[in-house]
Amino acid sequence: MLKHQAANSRRNALRSYLGAYGFMAPAGILVIVFFLIPVAIVLYLSVTNLASSNFTSDLAKMEFIGLKNYDTLFNDQFARKIFSNTIFYVLVTLSIFNVSLALIVSLLTTHIDRNAGFIFRAMWILPRITSPVVYILIWKRMIAEAPFGIINQFNELLGQPTYNYISTNPWVFVVVVNGFIGVSFGMIIFTSAIESIPKDLLNASLVDGSSRLQRIRFVILPLIRWPLLFVVTYQTLSLLTSFVEIQLLTDGGPGLYRTEVWSLTAYHRALSNYFGNAQWGYGSAFAVLLVLIGVVLAVIYMRVFRFDELIAEPRVEAL
Amino acid sequence: MFAKLRLGLLFILLLGLLTGLAVAQDAVSITVRCKASPPEEDWRCNNFASVEAEVEAELGIDIDLNLIQDNAGWGDYKNEFVLASEAGEAPDIILSGHEDIGAWAPAGFIIPLDDVIGMHSEFDDIVPSLWESHGYAGQIWGIPQDAEARPIFYSKLLLRDLGWSEEEIESLPDRVVAGEFTFDDMLATAEAAIDEGIVDSGNGWWHRPSNGPDFLYYYYGNGGEVLDMDGNLVVDREALVAAYELLGGAVASGVLRSDVIGLDWNEVWHPTVAQADTVLFAAGGTWNWPNWAINYVADKGGDAYLFENIGLTLIPAMGTGEAITLTHPLTYMISSGSENPDVALKLIAAITTSEHNNKHAIDSFHLGILNAQLESEAYADNRLLSSAHYMLDHTTALPNHPGWNAWSNAYFLGIQAVETGEADAAGAADIAIAQMENELGDGIMVR
Repeated sequence: MLKHQAANSRRNALRSYLGAYGFMAPAGILVIVFFLIPVAIVLYLSVTNLASSNFTSDLAKMEFIGLKNYDTLFNDQFARKIFSNTIFYVLVTLSIFNVSLALIVSLLTTHIDRNAGFIFRAMWILPRITSPVVYILIWKRMIAEAPFGIINQFNELLGQPTYNYISTNPWVFVVVVNGFIGVSFGMIIFTSAIESIPKDLLNASLVDGSSRLQRIRFVILPLIRWPLLFVVTYQTLSLLTSFVEIQLLTDGGPGLYRTEVWSLTAYHRALSNYFGNAQWGYGSAFAVLLVLIGVVLAVIYMRVFRFDELIAEPRVEAL
Repeated sequence: MFAKLRLGLLFILLLGLLTGLAVAQDAVSITVRCKASPPEEDWRCNNFASVEAEVEAELGIDIDLNLIQDNAGWGDYKNEFVLASEAGEAPDIILSGHEDIGAWAPAGFIIPLDDVIGMHSEFDDIVPSLWESHGYAGQIWGIPQDAEARPIFYSKLLLRDLGWSEEEIESLPDRVVAGEFTFDDMLATAEAAIDEGIVDSGNGWWHRPSNGPDFLYYYYGNGGEVLDMDGNLVVDREALVAAYELLGGAVASGVLRSDVIGLDWNEVWHPTVAQADTVLFAAGGTWNWPNWAINYVADKGGDAYLFENIGLTLIPAMGTGEAITLTHPLTYMISSGSENPDVALKLIAAITTSEHNNKHAIDSFHLGILNAQLESEAYADNRLLSSAHYMLDHTTALPNHPGWNAWSNAYFLGIQAVETGEADAAGAADIAIAQMENELGDGIMVR
């Protein structure tokens, strides 16, 4: 009898595990096929000298050179600068635009007429849904030097000096151009979070005498803590790997890698080279380090922000 | 009766099918991939369509010719060929810069042509100096498609304002060739134009705003070499420093803008230079001319406006005392994956004639590749080509070497350093050499 019960219990446990893994399987397969396998391939490429001049897709035919690419990378006189650029770009864009401005837009558009708020939010989504090439062409025409650029045409009209903005303030425009795109993601998440706060909570705070600012500070912000942390984490990793707009706007310049970021360097080395002999192996070494940084940051975020607690079952449910 | 009719119909159908199959089997498929700026460079691929019937008749075969032509970026275009080659889907003929021989020959993506070039008399007439840029490891790997010069364009409009006589302006190219007007003279002229308020500071001379082959002539012009006698990569520190001193000095004196690298080609560089009223000297390429005539000064008269206001000359003499230019021939290469390399080469030979190459040369202002073109009426009567062809006698070229990209990128870093003031000439040379040594290791010799 006891034996039979134990067998049943094991069967139920197994069924439960299989059910869980079955539900996770589609996502798991996607992660394996589109992340783990590519990472493994890039990792292997990074220990070869694969280039256009010896290109092959046969892994067995690639020449293994150990850690030579990493040695070259760490001895590159500009690697530190490119790394610093990347940190600067991620921190500034994330803090000013992807989180702060996104939050401000969400708060403002949820405190005005609902339709007006919708229209404003729709406008903020435009940079996200515009093709990067078109979007950057618009910016380039805006900030081109006199007499071609629109901003400089206004400067001339007002009797002000004109500037080659890409040369004088490349970071300002790299951050602004990317930031305007990044705002929309946080804005959508924050808005939906704010909208889902029970109205009786919000009204109760007003009845208790709080101002609108106090209501934001003491009611809304604590209640959207989870979306806030999610946006910080997701956008950090997203910014780490984004480079298309920078490539189109400055291509890492002007001067010595002034706006070059790590992911753009990986692209420059492995996939784009004016004189043709792309360095696939060396570029892969840059890409591998980027993956490592991303994974480490993701783990740190999950620990620091206690994601396990945030997504845990509500205590009232657990009771 | 009906049975016989059905049998007859079946026989006819079968015959038709067999004939169709026979024709299909005879058809030789040739794919040609070209990069061209439309419309002026479209003959690069379109010329093949012009000779298709002729080659079919001569070889007695049916050619299924596929032309793929667009104006993709060089990096993407080259990667496309590398990936297609590895996938076994490379075009039979690929048109690209001759320097790609240095990467694609060792990779086995293209075939050597030494043994077959002699079978086509059309190739005998190619300007001998052009073959030099098609060699690698002692063999020839491509057929020149075009040639060009990278001259200094000078604004006649602004030189007139500076007080130059028409005779002085028109004789400038000859004085440059003779070494009477050197690069230092050019910079002094630009400084004078700035001092007199004819051009703004920084607009005395512009070079290209992005990395590219042109920059190499500042190094060559100061006695530098990229390959030694054995074909190994070298860098001459003295020439490197001299080139950087020239560029950095031009920025320091206000002749050259410190931010010229980074200007947008189409938004700023071309529209400004083509007007001839803002920049005194501009280092460009012959093919810029039709682009300007069509896209930037068409409303002012196009070609006529340019002839009236812009002239072109060799790069005035620098350290070596010789005026030079740089030619970057595009070359037709035959893929090692081609099943019909003989037919591919025959097609290339058929378009390597004055008649066909003149169409490309005249429309796009690329220089001819055949001696016969110089004698042809269409070429000789073309004012632009006839005024520039002599530049091929003073030309230099990029090296064909797998390490060239690392060399050139490091060299360009030094240029950026010295022009933005992040390093002096010696410091810029240190940066470039350190970069070369780090990436090329034993593959570079510093002299």
